[in-house]
Order: sequence, then C-alpha cells, then structure tokens
Amino acid sequence: MNQPILQALLNALRHHESVVLLSVTHGEGRYADAVGRHCLLWSDPARGVVGDLGLGELADQVYADARQALAARQHRHLRYRDAEGSVQIFAEVQAQPPHLLIVGAGHIAVPLAAMGKLCDFQVTVLDDRPQYAHPARFPTADQVIAGPFRPELRKLREQGMLDEHTYIVLVTRGHQHDVDCLVEVLDDPLAYIGMIGSQRRIRAVFQLLESEQGIPPEKFDRVYAPIGLDIGAQTPAEIAVCIMAEIINVMRGGPAVSLSEQIRRERQQRRERLTART
Amino acid sequence: MASATIYQHLQQLLDQGLTVAVATITDVKGSVPREVGAKMIIHPYGQHVGTIGGGCGEADVIRVGLDVIQDGQPRNVQVDLTEEISMNSLGVCGGIMNVFVEPWRPQTGDVSTTEAAPSAAN
Repeated sequence: MNQPILQALLNALRHHESVVLLSVTHGEGRYADAVGRHCLLWSDPARGVVGDLGLGELADQVYADARQALAARQHRHLRYRDAEGSVQIFAEVQAQPPHLLIVGAGHIAVPLAAMGKLCDFQVTVLDDRPQYAHPARFPTADQVIAGPFRPELRKLREQGMLDEHTYIVLVTRGHQHDVDCLVEVLDDPLAYIGMIGSQRRIRAVFQLLESEQGIPPEKFDRVYAPIGLDIGAQTPAEIAVCIMAEIINVMRGGPAVSLSEQIRRERQQRRERLTART
Repeated sequence: MASATIYQHLQQLLDQGLTVAVATITDVKGSVPREVGAKMIIHPYGQHVGTIGGGCGEADVIRVGLDVIQDGQPRNVQVDLTEEISMNSLGVCGGIMNVFVEPWRPQTGDVSTTEAAPSAAN
C-alpha cells in the first residue's frame, strides 16, 4: 500500500535528496476518504509525484505549498477548505541532513565525531596524517579523509560539500594549519566556521591576516574563534561538548553566548571608532 | 532519532510482516517536550522506536496507536500538558500538541499505487 512511497523515501534519504512527504491527517466532505493517504515529492516539479492523495483539483495547490515548505526547510500542517469540504495535510520535510566537517583528527575530533553522529549530522573527518585519519579511529563517521588539508578542502568544494548545510570545525594539531584552512574556506557559504585557539592567539592571528594578507576584518565576524560556548570545558571530551553545543546553538538560533563574542565585539568597536574618526 | 532512521526501522518492521502505527507531532502550542515533525513507531508488542516526548502524553498516544493497529483507522490525538503544577500532576510542560497516528501495513498483493507515476498535473 504505502510501500512504494516508503521505498522512494528511503531511496531519497540514502542519496541525500531533499523531499517532502505529504500525509492527509484530516478530511471532511469530499475529502473524508483521503485521510491516511500519502505522497512524496521533490522540489523539482519535473520529478513527478510518488503516490496520490486523492484530492482531485486541489492537488496542484497542495503540491505548490508543499514545495514551499521544502524550500523553507520547515514542516507545515497545511489546511484547505472549499465548497466540497475541508482537508488537512501534514507536509514533512526531509531536508538534507546537516554536515559536520571536522578538520584535524586529534583528541577533540574523536568525541566530537561521535557526538555529531548522535545529533544526526553527516560527519566527515579530515587530517593529513593517515594514522589518525583512519576509519578505525572514527567508526561512526560517514567519511574519513587522509590527505593534505587545502587540496582536500578544494576537492570537497568541487563535490559541493562546502555548502550552507556544512558546519566546519578547525581543530588541527597546529595553529598554522587551522589558519591555512580558515583562509581556504573563508568565502564559502558555510553554515558555521569554528576555529580553536586562545583569545590572545586568535586576536593575534586575525590581526596578522588583516595586515599581511589584506583580508577585510569584517570577514572574521562570522568565524567562531575561540570555538565553543563558555561552559568552562577542560578535557578533550568536554571541549567537544562545548563545540557541539555551539553548533546546535547556531543551527537552532538559541540564545547562548559564544566564547568568540568578546573579541567579535572588540573588533566591531574598533571599526566603529575608525569610521567615527574619518 | 532522525526521521531517516525512523523510516529505516519502519521498513524493517514491515519486512517482518508487522503492522505498526506511526505517530507524528503535527501542531504544538506552548511548551511541549518535542518539536513538530518528531515521530515514533508504535510496535504491537511494545518495542516502540523513537519518542514524541515520553511520559503520560506518550503513553496515551501508544494506547491510541494500538487501536490504530487493530482497526486500521488513522486518528488525531490531542496531548494536553497544561495541568496545574503540583506534586501529583505529571503533564505540566504547559502546552498542547496534536499527534497524528496512522497505520502502516506490510505489502499486500493489491498494490494500488505505482512508483514514480507522474502526477496528472505534470
């Protein structure tokens, strides 16, 4: 009965395609028989529809509204009423899962990769040391890449993996690698860029990048560095919690304050002072 | 649990020949334990998968799910968590949520839906 729809849905999920599943939850009058029916659709109308809600002429409107929900990445309970009756349809959006890209496969990466998976992220780990970037060290990660940082990041970009669903965490063994990777991804449309380091070190790095590489300081405003939420984390596992908490805070629009907030504010105040002077 | 994982479980249960009920939170008002779109599978012998928030509200939904498995009729359940705060009351999150509970049956011979059938509109 519903099996072809379930098959198509699982197939879409496997291929990270965004789809919306429609379920008729309530119907009266002409639409009473539709309750419990499903269909599945993609954002591209040319892909057609799997299943039939049995709504007749109302279907086009429902499909259009469902595609809007898909574009907004938000489940919606759609409601319609016309001369023939009323109907409610739940539009369940199966958007591409968020992607956690951990650059550096050291002590923090291990608990962070596990936590990312627990929080339903697709997890990628990258390091240039094959003995660390190894599937045995990251059994739950979706992808473990051993290779030079910047070329591998470029490859990921070519595969469309540095997109607005991606949260990147820079936690390599050396700050120079973190900074190299930061410069590489600074212009990508990522959902989140976090970089580890002390406040003092981060301040110095940003100033150096401004003065030596001529990078406009506003570009650093979206970088979460020092990475994480201020929960007093000490051990690698605790730091992984504070990073994951920050990522969830960014993803869900939560109110928690990031460790990076202070130096972000300092930088903005400095810019304001400079503009005031000119 | 991500809904992707829920659907994999659903497929496995159907492959085992079981009829199950799937509960989905469709509307919420006020403070409730889980978000719109959260799902759980109600298993006829109690091996449920996922959660729509736990507690008494979930227990009510499970009872409805067992009815849905029995008679195949989808239902809407309103879970009211607006009781006064006291030591005796359990549902005190402060909100109300609507849950849609529907049956999923294993494949039978009479397949009426064809895969990837283009809609009449296209």
